Amino acid sequence: MTGMIQGGWEFVWAAYGITGVAMGIYIASLWIRWKAEDKSE
Amino acid sequence: MTRQRVAAAFALVGLGLLSWGSYLGLWVAPPDRYMGDVQRIMYVHVPTAWLALVVFMLAFVYALLFLIRRTWRWDALHEATLEIGVLYTALLCIQGALWGKPTWGVYWAWDPRLTTVAVMLLSFAGILSLRHFLDDPLRRASWSATATILASANVPVVYYSVRWWNSLHQLQSTPKTVNSAMVEPLRINAFGLLALTIALIMIRSWIAEARRRRDLAPPLPEIEA
Repeated sequence: MTGMIQGGWEFVWAAYGITGVAMGIYIASLWIRWKAEDKSE
Repeated sequence: MTRQRVAAAFALVGLGLLSWGSYLGLWVAPPDRYMGDVQRIMYVHVPTAWLALVVFMLAFVYALLFLIRRTWRWDALHEATLEIGVLYTALLCIQGALWGKPTWGVYWAWDPRLTTVAVMLLSFAGILSLRHFLDDPLRRASWSATATILASANVPVVYYSVRWWNSLHQLQSTPKTVNSAMVEPLRINAFGLLALTIALIMIRSWIAEARRRRDLAPPLPEIEA
């Protein structure tokens, strides 16, 4: 017993994964909106 | 260099630094003495928190500048910072919940830091939806700028909440209180997210400007058959 939390990698992967996917979706949405505005101008 | 290339350069530098910092944080940095590997969430959670606060402070400055100068450029930047700040704060809550479960035993607790962050998220998300409902560009810009100035009063409260009240959330760490092997990935990710945020604000403000130009454009004359 060391007092250190054992394991927990699933929480680490979830935090990085959700952040990466959300940022990817947001960047893609910006790209789509920018292209749509560019076309309509 | 065109503004598109400047934004692309910031985005590439940002993504590169984030990849490098995350690699160091996940595989090179040592585990924390008490939190073990779960502490690796810090390398993404803390830069997200810093940038969320910085972006909302920028939203306050742009809102104030719009109300003083009445220049549409400030309104576009205001809209960009609002949207990006809401995204970062939502991610901050999710990352915090994923860190809280293995360390505190719960995903969420109504403690001062978490509660003030939830108020910040809901207030700025509300201002963003207000902008979507208002068709008149001048009313949209003025009303949302005023609301942003009011909502910004909570931003310093979020930062100081862990000092002012007893909180489950730990106090802000400094490079002196953190192992140097942990400081490096934290700094790299923070600068990476800063560079990416500059690119996102630039692109999102161009979209807002294009929308405003469309809203203010005079209607086309009718073509007689």
